[in-house]
Amino acid sequence: MAKKSLKHQNITSVAIVHIVLVLLSALFLIPLIWMISTSFKTEVQASAFPPVWIPDPVESINYKKAWEYGKEQLNGQAPMLIYLRNSIIIAILTVTGTVISNAIVAYSFARLKWPGRDLAFAITLATMMVPFPVIMVPLFGLFKDFGWVGTFRPLWIPAWFAGAFNIFLLRQFYRTIPFELSEAAKIDGCTEWGIFHQVILPLAKPALAVVALFSFMGTWNDFLGPLLYLQDQKAYTLAIGLQAFRSQAGGAPIHLQMAASTMMVAPIIILFFFTQKQFIQGIATSGLKG
Amino acid sequence: MNWAPVAWVAGVAAVGWALFTSEQIIKPETRTDGRVVVTYWEKWSDFEFEAMRKVVEKYNNSQDKIFVKVLSVPNIAGKTLLATSGGIPPDLAGLYGPNVAQYAFNNAVMPLDEFANEAGMDRDDYIHQYYDICTYRGKLWALPTTPASTALHYNRDMLQAAGWDPNNPPKTIEELTELDKRIFKKDGSRITKMGFLPTEPGWWPWAWGPIFGGKLWNGVDKITMDDPKIVEGYTWMGSFAKQYGSGTVSSFQEGFGSFNSPQNPFMDNKLATVLQGVWMANFIEKQNPKLNWGASAFPYPANRPEMANSSLLDLDILVIPTGAKHPKEAFEFLKYLQTQEAMEMLCLGQKKHSPLANVSEGFLQNHPNPNIRLFQELAESKNTLATPKTPIWAQWGDEIRTATQSINNGSKTPEQALNDVQTKMQPLLDKVLRHERALGIEPRSEDMAE
Amino acid sequence: MSTSKLNSQTRAGLLFAAPWLIGFSVFLLFPLLKSFYNSFTEYTILTPPVWIGLENYTDLFKDELFWQSLGNSFYYALIAIPVGTVVAIGLALLLNQKVKGQAFYRTFFFLPSLVPVVPLAILWLWLFNGESGIINAVIEPIFHVKPNWLGDVKLAKNVLIVMSTWGVGNAMVIYLAGLQQVPQELYEAANLDGASPLRKTWKITLPLLSPVIMFNVVMSIIGSLQVFAQPFIMFPGGAPERTTYFFSVYIYDTAFRDNRMGYASAMGWVLFLIILVLTYVAIKYMDKKVHYETN
Repeated sequence: MAKKSLKHQNITSVAIVHIVLVLLSALFLIPLIWMISTSFKTEVQASAFPPVWIPDPVESINYKKAWEYGKEQLNGQAPMLIYLRNSIIIAILTVTGTVISNAIVAYSFARLKWPGRDLAFAITLATMMVPFPVIMVPLFGLFKDFGWVGTFRPLWIPAWFAGAFNIFLLRQFYRTIPFELSEAAKIDGCTEWGIFHQVILPLAKPALAVVALFSFMGTWNDFLGPLLYLQDQKAYTLAIGLQAFRSQAGGAPIHLQMAASTMMVAPIIILFFFTQKQFIQGIATSGLKG
Repeated sequence: MNWAPVAWVAGVAAVGWALFTSEQIIKPETRTDGRVVVTYWEKWSDFEFEAMRKVVEKYNNSQDKIFVKVLSVPNIAGKTLLATSGGIPPDLAGLYGPNVAQYAFNNAVMPLDEFANEAGMDRDDYIHQYYDICTYRGKLWALPTTPASTALHYNRDMLQAAGWDPNNPPKTIEELTELDKRIFKKDGSRITKMGFLPTEPGWWPWAWGPIFGGKLWNGVDKITMDDPKIVEGYTWMGSFAKQYGSGTVSSFQEGFGSFNSPQNPFMDNKLATVLQGVWMANFIEKQNPKLNWGASAFPYPANRPEMANSSLLDLDILVIPTGAKHPKEAFEFLKYLQTQEAMEMLCLGQKKHSPLANVSEGFLQNHPNPNIRLFQELAESKNTLATPKTPIWAQWGDEIRTATQSINNGSKTPEQALNDVQTKMQPLLDKVLRHERALGIEPRSEDMAE
Repeated sequence: MSTSKLNSQTRAGLLFAAPWLIGFSVFLLFPLLKSFYNSFTEYTILTPPVWIGLENYTDLFKDELFWQSLGNSFYYALIAIPVGTVVAIGLALLLNQKVKGQAFYRTFFFLPSLVPVVPLAILWLWLFNGESGIINAVIEPIFHVKPNWLGDVKLAKNVLIVMSTWGVGNAMVIYLAGLQQVPQELYEAANLDGASPLRKTWKITLPLLSPVIMFNVVMSIIGSLQVFAQPFIMFPGGAPERTTYFFSVYIYDTAFRDNRMGYASAMGWVLFLIILVLTYVAIKYMDKKVHYETN
């Protein structure tokens, strides 16, 4: 008898949960759907009130227009193409540097013993509390003295020097690799670099993939960096370029802004669908105390 | 097949391409014909930019030593300052006159006295008010490009429809208020028409005090935002939002199209009158040529007839930022621009009057702006109102703007809002003066001489 | 023999750590110290620094805009963090119910957190548009008002909080992973005792999740006080009436619009100290409450 009522209780609760999930999903997805829908509308329909949900006609030409918007400024080249190229360039240079430098540095904190190591690690963790605004100005001055303002360099070169968050992440991961493996390699006569390169790295691929993924997200999203250091329109990234979309000559019409926004969001969503497992796993491990 | 080596090569190639391209993109432009490239950032876009571009083109074709590359740059003041701080300024920047004192104080632009003296330029070559905007503490920091004066622009058809003589636009503030009452129309809870809206375009939030005869400061060291005439001006400004409800009015405004579009509220028959500048004729022609409009001096308070024919004075300027790579060549172009021929070409192209003291014979007669004589006279009138020439102006102007928002929202009375600006800005002015004294610069009146 | 081995490991250790040691010194420590020095000067990058002692700090104290912008950032943090945490945990609990299609729902909740900041701003500016936005399209038929979200001093701030809540997918995933680590036996034991779902959540789930919650809250404190891009893009000048003027934007404006680098440095240090204090307090407080799994 008790079993039966439990089952009954379960079915209703499951139904409730489902309904709630569906409603909430709608709430979360509607803005995105709206963005895509507006990107296909005519200008009149885009600003209509009450709002038009399904564009009629479906103006995929908006994408072409958004792609080319403002091309007079850039000698006839499609600005979105330029911004995309620049974002990709920075992403390549940053992600590569991040993965390489953090893989190496985290190894030192995880598997090598040296005096002051633990203190240094504690300080490294503490640096995560340093807000960017407090170093923003002298950093700008530093890059000015280097002659790097107006170039891409401030955006990717520092990535080649590792960072606290990734050091923490990879260190946690490295420590899960059994020490016996390193020991065995050492007995075989491997140098530290050899152990790192031949034993640890192959095992670290999933963690490095996560680092790469997050690093990519970070640069794709970066706004303040390009705002400060990229002066020339032909060096703009998608983030700054999109911002210019709004402020240039009164601002692009809303349906074009949505098309451009969709174009910037799409690669991330696509990337997510291909790397779901790594994504979710990576976020989960980054948030849990190892 | 073992993909690993392929992946490696591809990876290294990608990084190599990225590195190479990233360096190529940011290389400064050089020319094959040996000319010095002068980078010139200008604030204008669209047809206003086109007018300057033509002048630049003419200059480039007239000699073979220098090539001026002019770019339309949005948000130019912030960008130029950032670039100058970063050590990579353009050689010429088209900025706004009200900020000259700030640029001078912060060492952001080069003084032009030496260049100007060498070229034989003189204050008397210009309408004095415009030249004075370019000076601070006795030095020349910029040179004029296009000047501006402002006036009341009115929609003849809308006036007529409301029973107002379209050839007799409001002369006093009281008449303007009366006109607005007549024109004001609502459809349900939403406003469809207004006679005047101080926050459209809202480009000169500082002007309401001076229009009423008040002075924002004594020109040297005392800010006087609590001047009763200023309070009066802002009370009038806030009266529109007050009587119709600030939420209703701001909803009305949210529905306005952008300035340079046929949905501009003045061009779209939503506002019967608007305070605008000499450039407006150009924009109306482009966006709504059928508009039946006129321009007249902005109204004055009936009890203050001495404020008749007031006009806000504004000036676009060119500066050579500190650290510019080619200052001499930049000044060569500046010199060319200041000649009557080039300046008139530019001002005609933007349908504005000229800042020079002398204009050629047909300039006013053949001018495409139907109201050009009005704007010229207003620019030379004794009631020209310009922004205070002080390094703290950017912040001060911003505070005034915030104050107008508070007044329009009803969250502060005009007295409170103005008082807050006063208490905030006076210490900053004191600081600036102290800093200048420490550098041996004595304060002096920066009021525009006649 | 063992000393040379130790030396070689030390050498390797330092060598491997070198990129970070260099990067830390050049890109973090040096600017940090320099900005500390600058905070006692008047400095515009185009003019050399002039020592003025504590004047920047005393000016800050008297600066109304400082208090207002700091207040705005605090308002945002104080609401967005609890709301975000509750929503994220709530969603995670919901997803943890072993329903069909869990992966789909998880994706739906997570996707919004991937949207880069500029399209995010553009999208939400449009959604909240007083005249044509769909939020008002939904509200108007029911409540017969069209709130002026972006222009009303009481409403504008909250727009940013709604946006931030929309992006809790990231945190939700972390909590979900944490939930999945809770041993099933504990729940089964509680079921035998006849515990209600609420009691189970309160006595088992939340305590076991608490280290994760603490970590997330600390990171959120640090992050939300620094929020820059959304207010900067969506509300120029902190309109209306500076109610959306966040502290980070004020620092940016002071440094790069007003060119007062010394003053901006002082502001940066104040922010840093606030974060340090808050983090310390948060950790100390939550440490007492956090349940660490023994055995």
